[in-house]
Amino acid sequence: MTQAGPREWEFPVDWSKVREFARAVHDEHWNDEPLIPPPTFPAYVTSDYIERLVVDELRLDRRRTVHGEQEYEYLRPLRVGARLRCRARVVDDYVKEGKRGGRMRFVVCETEMFDAESGELVLRERSTAIETAASEGQAA
Amino acid sequence: MSDLREGVAGPAFRVGPITRTDIVRYAGASGDFNPIHHDEPFAQSAGLPMVMAHGMLSAGILASYVTHWFGAGSVRRYKVRFRERVWPGDVLSAEGKVERVRATEGAQQAELELLLKRQDGVVVVSGSAEVAF
Repeated sequence: MTQAGPREWEFPVDWSKVREFARAVHDEHWNDEPLIPPPTFPAYVTSDYIERLVVDELRLDRRRTVHGEQEYEYLRPLRVGARLRCRARVVDDYVKEGKRGGRMRFVVCETEMFDAESGELVLRERSTAIETAASEGQAA
Repeated sequence: MSDLREGVAGPAFRVGPITRTDIVRYAGASGDFNPIHHDEPFAQSAGLPMVMAHGMLSAGILASYVTHWFGAGSVRRYKVRFRERVWPGDVLSAEGKVERVRATEGAQQAELELLLKRQDGVVVVSGSAEVAF
């Protein structure tokens, strides 16, 4: 299996992007002032990293890769205007036999997001992708 | 919220029918441009009848249910499992139940069990959350 290294980047949480995201997930608070990022907004923060990881590094077949689970722990309020320092890594990567036969590959990725100024941990997210067996030809 | 106790069900919450426009809007907002969500020929080459919604769109809608119930900024933990696909035309309904309530310093916390269902009653996302209020 291809190994993918950890990655770090910084991300400014800007108002217009948070508003766009809130509207897209049908969050009734999208037009609030002050605007508070929706719980799943970090999905946007990790989107470039995840795309590179899945497509370029792990080379998973998107036609049969499904999103299995997603988890967030919020330790401090995520605020518009904050700058996040993000640190992402693959924490697990293993193969299991599928119920209908064939190999299923599980990749678990964890990202921690810190306040770039104070250094405090704001949130931690964990995402599980599953590349299903080649014969099943499924995607989610 | 002072009368919140174990077993209490959340308010009704419904989104849809989900349109291709909803899906494309989420692709742009989230940066997830996996073509399976907007490119019909690509989706069909993967054996699907049509484009499908992002799992994270459903997860986001279920999270919007929690902030509808407890307010923006109330969520301390959120975990979901993706169970079934969502297609254009589906109407999604969220359901929630209080599993436990406990008092911490200066605030109350509740643990919630959450479901997002399609119009045919099939669960598309199941999950749990911890909220402070």
